Amino acid sequence: MKPILEIKELSKNFGGVTALSKVSFSIYEGEILGLIGPNGAGKTTLFNCVAGVDKPTSGRITFHARNGGEVSVGGKKPEHVTALGIARTFQNIRLFDALSVLDNVKIGRHCRTKSNFFGAVLRTGFQRREEREIEESSREVLAFTGLTDRYEEVASALPYGDQRRLEIARALATEPRLLMLDEPAAGMNPQESKDLMNLILRIRNKGVTVLLIEHDMKVVMGICERVVVINHGSWLAEAGPHEVAKDPKVIEAYLGSGAAVAS
Amino acid sequence: MFIELLLNGLTIGGIYALIAVGYTMVYGVIQLINFAHGEIYMLGAFFALTFLTALHLPFYAAFGLAMLLGALCGVLLDIIAYRPLRNSPRLAALITAIGMSIFLQNLAMIIWGSRPLPFPQNDLPAYFKQPALTVGGAPVSWLQLFIFIITILLMIGLYLIIHKTNTGKAMRAVAQNKTMAALVGVNVNRIITVTFALAGSLGAAAGILVGAYYNSVYPTMGYVAGVKAFAAAVLGGIGSVPGAMLGGVILGVAEAFGAGYISSLYRDGISYAVLIAVIVLIPAGLFGKLSRETKKSL
Amino acid sequence: MVETGRRKFDKSASLKLAALAVALVLPILPFTSEYLIHVCILIFLYMVLALGLNVVPGFNGLLDLGYVGFYGIGAYTAGLLTVNFGLSYWLIMPLAAINGAIWGVLLGAPTLRLTGDYFAIVTFGFSELVVLVITNEIWLTRGPLGLPGIEPVSIDFSWFGGPVWYLEGDTPGVYYLILAMVLLTLFVMTRVQNSRLGRAWFAIRDDELAAVSCGVNLLRYKVIAFAISAAFGALGGSFYARWVSVLSPTDFAFWESFLVLCMIVLGGLGNIWGVLIGATALVSLGEILRVVLPLVGLPMNVRFLFYGLIMVLTMRLRPAGLLPIPAVAERMRIVGARRKKPVAKVFNK
Repeated sequence: MKPILEIKELSKNFGGVTALSKVSFSIYEGEILGLIGPNGAGKTTLFNCVAGVDKPTSGRITFHARNGGEVSVGGKKPEHVTALGIARTFQNIRLFDALSVLDNVKIGRHCRTKSNFFGAVLRTGFQRREEREIEESSREVLAFTGLTDRYEEVASALPYGDQRRLEIARALATEPRLLMLDEPAAGMNPQESKDLMNLILRIRNKGVTVLLIEHDMKVVMGICERVVVINHGSWLAEAGPHEVAKDPKVIEAYLGSGAAVAS
Repeated sequence: MFIELLLNGLTIGGIYALIAVGYTMVYGVIQLINFAHGEIYMLGAFFALTFLTALHLPFYAAFGLAMLLGALCGVLLDIIAYRPLRNSPRLAALITAIGMSIFLQNLAMIIWGSRPLPFPQNDLPAYFKQPALTVGGAPVSWLQLFIFIITILLMIGLYLIIHKTNTGKAMRAVAQNKTMAALVGVNVNRIITVTFALAGSLGAAAGILVGAYYNSVYPTMGYVAGVKAFAAAVLGGIGSVPGAMLGGVILGVAEAFGAGYISSLYRDGISYAVLIAVIVLIPAGLFGKLSRETKKSL
Repeated sequence: MVETGRRKFDKSASLKLAALAVALVLPILPFTSEYLIHVCILIFLYMVLALGLNVVPGFNGLLDLGYVGFYGIGAYTAGLLTVNFGLSYWLIMPLAAINGAIWGVLLGAPTLRLTGDYFAIVTFGFSELVVLVITNEIWLTRGPLGLPGIEPVSIDFSWFGGPVWYLEGDTPGVYYLILAMVLLTLFVMTRVQNSRLGRAWFAIRDDELAAVSCGVNLLRYKVIAFAISAAFGALGGSFYARWVSVLSPTDFAFWESFLVLCMIVLGGLGNIWGVLIGATALVSLGEILRVVLPLVGLPMNVRFLFYGLIMVLTMRLRPAGLLPIPAVAERMRIVGARRKKPVAKVFNK
């Protein structure tokens, strides 16, 4: 298996607080990798470092591009990272509340399209073709994620589970090679979680690698092929989900927070 | 000429500091640029003027009373205009502040007319015009000395209130973290009102001093002075009281020297230039820390 | 892009057409006085300005307090080019707009990284500096003496052996000119709204972090917005110069910036049709007050007191404006609910 993202000795300090300390692991193409750990372990910080929202204090993050080249991603601006092919969702859903469902996804197409002011005003042939493509591909993505027939609704009016799916749809619209999901199952009921797991599997089957932060152990056990455990900003363990669940270090890290690993 | 410019700059700088402190305190507690603060400064001057000419009160009584009214105006401004919008988006509060500023300017025009009124020189203590001492060859009048002393006294008073009283401690708490302050039992709304009262009284004091010094009071005087004082507050680091004091003095001196040596036409421009330069180059100012709130956009 | 609020308005496309018909026919009607044409010209001018300003706070969510600076730059560009070089207005229009856009980029590029409050202050400082320069550089602009003698707009038919047709004063010719400019501006704004550019702006307005993660470069798009807004401000200014024929620095006070801001806030921030209504409402109100106030013994300038009061009341009672974009109004409500009761929020976690 080829790696798609390699994280080497990644560290991040915020003032006096060490959020990440020499974390190293790799993500392989086509896998669904789970990233777990107690609250405050540094998982979202790791996402932020990869996505360009935070600048790593030290360490390297290497992304393997489509053409085989390697790009160092740490410290790049978020819009650049998305253009390279890494998309992410947020722990507290960040949709464009005032816009329609369709428009939210269309903005996802931004990094793959080009028209500017003059194209918009003059409606050149190029711009019109591009708008058609944006419209069609956005509808396709929405259909893929199961959000048909709601295109014109305002995003904030959607039920919670659908908002999560919309955020994933928007991320998919950026044509990522690696999709990072931050607690997508949070607040979902068992049926919604099941639908989510199916969706993630379908995403993977389309060729997108998935990195998943999750607290819901049913989801982690259900779809992750491998799991990385982080605690207090450091790498703790890395193995298949069931091995990790039995790892005494991991159990100790979670002790008292009720993550008795039931299946 | 140098000493004269310096003394002039320090005088006007002290006055800017008094106004700037008002901006910075209000911004500290509710993260709002109180555009109408300049109008309280203007109203303070007009109140004193009215007390002196219409009611023939002695100067020090008029001064004190006008400061009290300034405090009251600040409180009313908060309760009537800003408090109802405490939970609205920041754009709404900013627009309200500008709206109140324009409203008050025009109200003053209606009440007192738009032409500049002279400060009644006969009602000021007679010795104000006379030189009190000479510094390096330049005369310092009693009025200037009075302005220096009052400014320093008021700032010391403010410092004592902020650092040596429980109310002051509560003010600092609210400025740092409203939620936590509320949780430890601080009545946040009352503290905000107290802040407005303090800011208003100092602003009014500044207005009276300027009216006496320049012998001219007019409804739009709050506009330019307000911008300059705001520039001073930003220079010192918005939210920092010592920063505003220092920023005011620096700006006053810079303005005096700029007008004296470079160009008196662009006297006001110096403040605008400082404002833009500080915001673009060192947004946190001299003493300030950019808080989370300031980092968010509208 | 279809903002869901606009669906209400597509049904009233007939309303818009009716309004357009009235506007086209108005100057020819028998009861139309010169004063009415004057007021309409003023309304149309402010419509252009308000539509231009709307790009920044309305589409991008950034407060701009210095719009009058670009208005002034456009006016003096047009005035000086006319007085010194006798250029035709048809050449000056694009030149003024480009000059405005250039200044928009110059001011915007270093300052649009700043947060909302600070950016607003910087724009304010800039516009004040513009006025100061106009006032003091007497060799260039004649400063407080004003710049008189600006020729009115003319259409030159003399090639075909026809007359030179001057559009000046409060005549139907000028009326149709500014109406055409309004329609042009509306055309540009509706097209941009429904495009990739417009969507990027709305994304920035709604959630900058999410926008960035979709690939939108914040600074570039904010500068584009600011430059376009400046271009339209300057465009309006160029018309103003050739209409009033005399420019004075006092025409470009901060109050004008605030007035245009009031128009877009009152009308419904971000909604271009609301902006048109806001412009009509406030200009009409101003004219009414101009007549009424002296009757009550008050100076005309005091009408700004009412503008201030209206803004305060609007923010209190209907902050999303008269024609709010429903989703924007909804978001204001959500933001308000989130900011209330911080204590409760902590406990409920």
